[in-house]
Amino acid sequence: MSLKRLRLGLWVLVGLVAAGLVVFLWKQAEPQQPVFSQTSLGTIGGPFTLTASSGKPFSSAELNGRPAAVFFGFTHCPDVCPTTIARLTKLRREIGKGDDALSIVFISVDPERDTPAEVDNYTKLYNSPVIGLTGTPAQIEQVKKQFGVYSRKVEQPGGGYSVDHTATVILLDRNGQFSSTLSTEEGNEVALDKLRRITA
Amino acid sequence: MKQMLLITALALLAACGQGGEANIVVSDAWARPTRGDAPGVVYVTIQNKGGTDDRLVSVMTDHAAMAMVHQTEMSNGVARMRMAGEINVPAGDSIKMVPGGTHIMLEGLRTPLRTGDSFPLVLKFRESEEERVSVRVAEADAQ
Repeated sequence: MSLKRLRLGLWVLVGLVAAGLVVFLWKQAEPQQPVFSQTSLGTIGGPFTLTASSGKPFSSAELNGRPAAVFFGFTHCPDVCPTTIARLTKLRREIGKGDDALSIVFISVDPERDTPAEVDNYTKLYNSPVIGLTGTPAQIEQVKKQFGVYSRKVEQPGGGYSVDHTATVILLDRNGQFSSTLSTEEGNEVALDKLRRITA
Repeated sequence: MKQMLLITALALLAACGQGGEANIVVSDAWARPTRGDAPGVVYVTIQNKGGTDDRLVSVMTDHAAMAMVHQTEMSNGVARMRMAGEINVPAGDSIKMVPGGTHIMLEGLRTPLRTGDSFPLVLKFRESEEERVSVRVAEADAQ
């Protein structure tokens, strides 16, 4: 082999290593927690069975025929969860088509603490109907996976725990198909547009 | 030399006192109603009308076992609640706590908070006197 060929071969090798390094770093830089972009949008949602706040089984088929705003949270969440539900009830009022135009669904990510009775108490705080759902830890894990939702228990310094969780609202059309998401950061105008689209 | 030191010391003291004392006013304190043993949340507005920066050190209320200043952080759509530490209230500035950000969490409520009720809350500052404020329990869907 001539020296020229050897040099070329070495350069090719250098190039390959560099490309490998770029791919490796790029993979490393990807967020570790599940986010919506990692889930195929078309598969968000799907049929599930949970427990209604009445204690009876609740099938996702009961949501059919009406668009829904689905929010995952927990009853011991003092700030983000009530703020999000309050926002949804306010937006539903602003659409002006009545409570039947949109189901607001709260699914607990804290099944150990959130019994159906706890969820019932929590959702009844609002002057507007909210469907509260909980389930066994296995059921909740399954539904979280279906909706691409992340949650994790975090011990609190003073005892007890809080739950980090996806606070993005998932909008489903009246056939239960994923339509779009509502984030806490986006303004109410954009949110209203999205809600009007599914309630039209 | 001694004179120089004295002058420097006096100048430093004068610089410190330049803006006057911190003058804290707490207003618009409201909470959301709660059920069962769920924790409560309080939002307040803290105004520093004085000339010296101040810091909110702690919060107390007889109505709960513990009151803590918390911060909700959002990243990648995930909400996390963490202890906020001391809250800086710069001179001439005001801090308005709003839902989804800095808030006071009440753990171990003596009784659930009901719309229309009110209860006292004490805010302790580094520079100023303690501020006592009456917290109004609003509707659940208050924004």
